[in-house]
Amino acid sequence: MTESAPAAAKGPSQMRVDRLPSTKMLNKIIPNYLLKSKLMAMLPWKKTAWVTAGFPVELCYMFDIFPMHPENAACVSGTQKVSQELIEYAESLGFSRDLCSYFKTNIGAVGKKVGLTKGGIGKPTFCASTNTICDTHVKWFQVQARKFGVPYFCFDIPSAVSGTDDPRMDEYIDYVVAQYKDFVDFVGNLTGKKFSEQKFFSVLEKSDRLCELWHEIYEYRKILPTPVAFQDTMAAIFPMVILPGLDIGIKFYEALLKDIKDRVARGVGALTKEQEKYRVLFEGIPMWYKIKYFHELANYGAIITYEPYTYSFGPRKQLGLSYEEALRELARMMIDVPYSYSLEKRIVYFEKIVDEYKLDGIILHSNFSCRPSCTGMIDLKNAIQADKGIPVWLMDCDMDDPRAYADGPMKNRMEAFIELMAENKKK
Amino acid sequence: MKTLAYFDSSHDFPEEIAMAAGLAPVKILGDVKADNAPADQYLQNFLCPAARSMLTDALAHSGSWDGIVVAHGCDITHRGFDIWKKHVKTPFIHWLNVPMVYGTASAAAFFKKEMELLVRALEKQFAASITPDKLRAAIKESNEVKSRLQRLSALRATRDVPNRDYFDACVKAVTMAKNDAAKALDEAIKDWSARPAFPASMKKVLLTGSDITYPEFMDTLEEANIRAVRDDLSIGERYYATLIPEKDDPLDALVEYRFSIPRPATKNPPDPRTDFLLKAMEESGLDTVVSQNVKFCEPYLFDTVHIEKIMKAKGYKYIHLEREFSPVKDTQAINRLEAFIEMQGGAKA
Ligand code: SF4
Ligand code: SF4
Repeated sequence: MTESAPAAAKGPSQMRVDRLPSTKMLNKIIPNYLLKSKLMAMLPWKKTAWVTAGFPVELCYMFDIFPMHPENAACVSGTQKVSQELIEYAESLGFSRDLCSYFKTNIGAVGKKVGLTKGGIGKPTFCASTNTICDTHVKWFQVQARKFGVPYFCFDIPSAVSGTDDPRMDEYIDYVVAQYKDFVDFVGNLTGKKFSEQKFFSVLEKSDRLCELWHEIYEYRKILPTPVAFQDTMAAIFPMVILPGLDIGIKFYEALLKDIKDRVARGVGALTKEQEKYRVLFEGIPMWYKIKYFHELANYGAIITYEPYTYSFGPRKQLGLSYEEALRELARMMIDVPYSYSLEKRIVYFEKIVDEYKLDGIILHSNFSCRPSCTGMIDLKNAIQADKGIPVWLMDCDMDDPRAYADGPMKNRMEAFIELMAENKKK
Repeated sequence: MKTLAYFDSSHDFPEEIAMAAGLAPVKILGDVKADNAPADQYLQNFLCPAARSMLTDALAHSGSWDGIVVAHGCDITHRGFDIWKKHVKTPFIHWLNVPMVYGTASAAAFFKKEMELLVRALEKQFAASITPDKLRAAIKESNEVKSRLQRLSALRATRDVPNRDYFDACVKAVTMAKNDAAKALDEAIKDWSARPAFPASMKKVLLTGSDITYPEFMDTLEEANIRAVRDDLSIGERYYATLIPEKDDPLDALVEYRFSIPRPATKNPPDPRTDFLLKAMEESGLDTVVSQNVKFCEPYLFDTVHIEKIMKAKGYKYIHLEREFSPVKDTQAINRLEAFIEMQGGAKA
């Protein structure tokens, strides 16, 4: 890719992605959640847990335990432009520059006791995570659980690498199911809370309803021009990450869908039909401190119409199963998440999306902080380019550490990518 | 003898299963002196350089191995497996899931199952029959090597044994056929026992951190007048501190063994790692810890702050270095280490 931008690649400047009106509901949902989480951490009889992506938050709601999400809090620090000072604080304690910036943001947020609106987060009753997406989730919670003097539960999720067959998958599921039982004992011993099958199914049902709506939203994103851009989904995943199994998220997604259907009925998109020139998939976590970057893409007529990152938070659950079967399905979901798909599966998944969403290009965030998700990206890029003939850009950056971002080079690379898509469309 | 090469990011691979199949297990260590360009075609340069070097090694040398097993350790083992599977030419490649959680009944059952799968895969590929008797014999043979290393390890604290000599002995144990390794280690025991006493000019330390896979780093310590007389590295005490129990069910023995070795940073719960380090300091009467981390190796980097804290709380002196994966003499590191030892009043302090 060239570093300078040809004039031909430039679209009309200052185009804006039109946000869905109901996204505004988040202005109430998020502060409510933050307030509640502050209260929950203060009331001694309330039980709270820190959890990470890949951990089934539903398990917390089943036990009436309030989940807190330090990764989510770390994005808040990023969007509020305080992540760098928190990361640097963590580094001053001896944590290496090479460690995940979410982790260091959280170390800084806890150490400096920043407020909830800046990414602060209270002390939990316990921490629980899995290693399904990264080792970081485990190591991070080992560090913080030790600091707080609270117990940590680690769900050990076997890695389903390329070529994993069904019998082996069944063996993995056995192991994860056995750990559910360990988890039920862990929570019971720690909090005195009992597991109720009835609550389990009711939470699962609501969680699935949320995912069903989420999937429907994604179906509409296939339409040209897309009625929903990343600008909406990156915020709208909040209930999926934090509030699955609760009515509030369902109401929010129903409102979003109403807006979307209305747009589709009117033939309106997030950009207009004339403006939408390039439909792009963005893989990875966005640079929270520089969300503007994604708005700038719109100035070239490029719109992000699919993100595996946001879609992955909403896997459908199978309903109508016995308790044992439902547990096995949950276990399968924990092993088989798009974040940790094997390379073979990831290539198939992406290529299907390219066709379904009529994509013109792909941005893969080669994220210095997220080494596990970057492993295999070069093969992914090569496969998609060869099989689908569209440009794939490995974007070197970091999701929460602004020191990895430089305006000039990032803009040049964006323009070069647009140019490649423009050239490709002429073919 | 046919060889089975393995890539694990700690001491995760049960070599005894390969031995029971009549294969010589060879740990892939990478080559710090080789250009990493072959692996860099597939792995970005901000990913662990040791793992990239191991891939480079495999791309160049897989023709001389009869198969490869990748055992789960850190993220790069399982994410990397797919890349190895796609690009490394080999008649046999197998994935072994080693649990991240150590010590629970569910993890033990799972690990045993995974080893049974490995047994079946090797039997099929190499037309071998891996019986409990063969496994028990392999365990015995493995323990022979481990107990020799234990004797060598004790000698490094009393005799003049440069860091490199110790490292070379440990490498032999994981790269040579076990009976050849045992012979070589016997020679070393004879040789080291006859050496002069531990030199007064050298400082005894415990060495910890991410795994060291090339001898040049051991020379760096040597140049700073430091001798590692205890460690918890995979090419080191993690490999031999514990013997494999010799019990009826050999796979149960291998599970028990794995859960009892000095814990790597890649496992949960983490406290046994620090317990081992503290015990090593105490039983060897040491007062200094050298911690080091190869660039981009996150699992160990997470632990460093805590290890520093507990070591200092016990009154031990502690230094941490982050190192490049490079054979080039690191003068800066040598200067830092020298100054650190000097500040404590030198080797005798
Ligand atoms: S950014 Fe990547 S490495 Fe960091 S916590 Fe998230 S998934 Fe794990
Ligand atoms: S050096 Fe660290 S990151 Fe690299 S393979 Fe070993 S444990 Fe994994």
